[in-house]
Amino acid sequence: MVSNQVPSLAVDVPVSETPRRRAWPRFLTSEHPFPWLAPITALILAFGVYPLLYALWLSFFKRNPVTRLNVFNPTWNWGKLFADDRVWGAIGHTYLYTVTALSIELCLGLAIALLLDSDRKGYGLLRALMTLPLVVPPAVTGMMFLLMLDGSFGVISTGLVSLGLWPPQHPILASGSTALLGVLLADIWQWTPFMVLIMLAGLRALPKEPFEAAAIDGATTSQAFFRLTLPMLSKIIALAVLIRGVDLFRIYDYVKVMTDSGPGTATETLTSYAGTIYFKNADFPYASTISLFTLLLVIITSSLFIKLFKVRF
Amino acid sequence: MQETFWQKRLRDVAAVLVVGIFMFPLFWWALTSFKPTSAIFDKDGIVWFNFKPTLVNYQVTMLGKSRAELAIESGNTFGVGGASSYDSRQTIIDSLIVAVGATALTVLLAVLASYALSRMRFYGRQAYLNWILSQRFMPPIAIIVPVVFMFHYMSLLDTRLGLIIVDTLINLPIAVLLMKSFYDDVPVDVDEAAMIDGASRLQIFWRVVLPMVKGGVAATAVLCFIFSWTEFLLSLFLTNSIRTLPVKITTFVTSTGSEWGFIAALGTTAVIPSFIFILLVQKQLVRGLTLGSLKE
Repeated sequence: MVSNQVPSLAVDVPVSETPRRRAWPRFLTSEHPFPWLAPITALILAFGVYPLLYALWLSFFKRNPVTRLNVFNPTWNWGKLFADDRVWGAIGHTYLYTVTALSIELCLGLAIALLLDSDRKGYGLLRALMTLPLVVPPAVTGMMFLLMLDGSFGVISTGLVSLGLWPPQHPILASGSTALLGVLLADIWQWTPFMVLIMLAGLRALPKEPFEAAAIDGATTSQAFFRLTLPMLSKIIALAVLIRGVDLFRIYDYVKVMTDSGPGTATETLTSYAGTIYFKNADFPYASTISLFTLLLVIITSSLFIKLFKVRF
Repeated sequence: MQETFWQKRLRDVAAVLVVGIFMFPLFWWALTSFKPTSAIFDKDGIVWFNFKPTLVNYQVTMLGKSRAELAIESGNTFGVGGASSYDSRQTIIDSLIVAVGATALTVLLAVLASYALSRMRFYGRQAYLNWILSQRFMPPIAIIVPVVFMFHYMSLLDTRLGLIIVDTLINLPIAVLLMKSFYDDVPVDVDEAAMIDGASRLQIFWRVVLPMVKGGVAATAVLCFIFSWTEFLLSLFLTNSIRTLPVKITTFVTSTGSEWGFIAALGTTAVIPSFIFILLVQKQLVRGLTLGSLKE
């Protein structure tokens, strides 16, 4: 997706009727898109495209941990990447996390949106309240759930234990098999409201007539939902899944704050692994390689999705 | 498909219940910020309301009091210790500067660029738009290592300006997309009428179109503010002494134990500005979030 297409700025703007004397060349006047787009293009080229190329260049170097020098060795990091078991583990966790969170958030989001889509008094307030989790910094959300899921002092974990829904000998975040579940819980709490918002906007924009016609023909509520609402929402659902999926794929905050990739490497995702390599090993070329590989996976997965579901912006 | 009386009540109960569940963590968090340490960690079970509310956590994080001072004042020496590193006043100021700066820069750039993208027809327009949007798909971690090196050479590492620049970069795609969808709602006839009157593009933009999308600019600004305010990964990598709030809060988890009271107090403070802002621009935001995908 990050292409290097530089747009041609050939222009076809309607020019005002009265000819004016121009002191400036045309492409510097406000009639031409160039001055409008130049600042943003410069910023993205300097701090987005250039670092990306730099990262690619960096990934061709081998870092010597003793001398701390980078030696040109184009295949070293990429070879290491494909032989690294932790990378494959991280890919597994990343996809598992993305797919699980996405499906739960989508279904919950749609259900809650349908529930809150009412014009009766008080529902406006409920909808407004529902957006609040969205603005909590993810790092704070992570801390919140870290406390609430604490094995001995957490309100959620002790609540579940006392209801008999959870075995007390397995603290959620401290057991390798369930730690990812704990992180998922934070993500679902924070981002289901995002899905609710988008779905609500979609529901509100639906035309009324087909539903009235269906009601006259005696359609049941579930028939109306599956035959009318869902197909008409499909476009916006696909867009929401794409936006959310890309975000989920680069999950970092919750993992870093709640489990720091642990216990062991049970919740290590691609991004958090790259962070670990950067901070703990200071192996910058390898960290760049993992990050680029993450980007590559994002591009491949999202292009497949866009092709498959014909998403358009 | 009219709802009967009982169906209505059922919907009311379910809606309140669901929203209540989602509000619970926020409520619990705010409650924790007023608890003394002994009520947060009670070995006998979870403490709900049977504790003596205290402002100690806010006094330490917001007023910069050290806990030793407070202990002497109250005569209670339980859990005394901890340096003044819990004082978060500078953090809040830094976070505000970064978030406001990044918002201003993003909105300025996005308002200009999306006007051209919405109003002018030029070759490669769609490709250019896709190129900007594609920046959103890039995981920040992919560019972070080179950005650290670049900032090191440019002396931008560990500065507020550096954070403002990268936050702007991250926010730009969504801001451009949002602003474009707001511009697209203003009929082109408006521009053409002004053009016939002899106004230049710049005049049309500044005097005619921009005032018509004020609400959209506000919604975009709020969204950018929230994104910068909550940004974690970039400030973690790019700063050391200047800490934004989300990073600062994670430093309260130490090897000798976590200061949950302080974490809760700072966390509660952190969400208040965003809450106010998002409630103010709710309507525009809901509309903008569909990103024009509802139009055929």
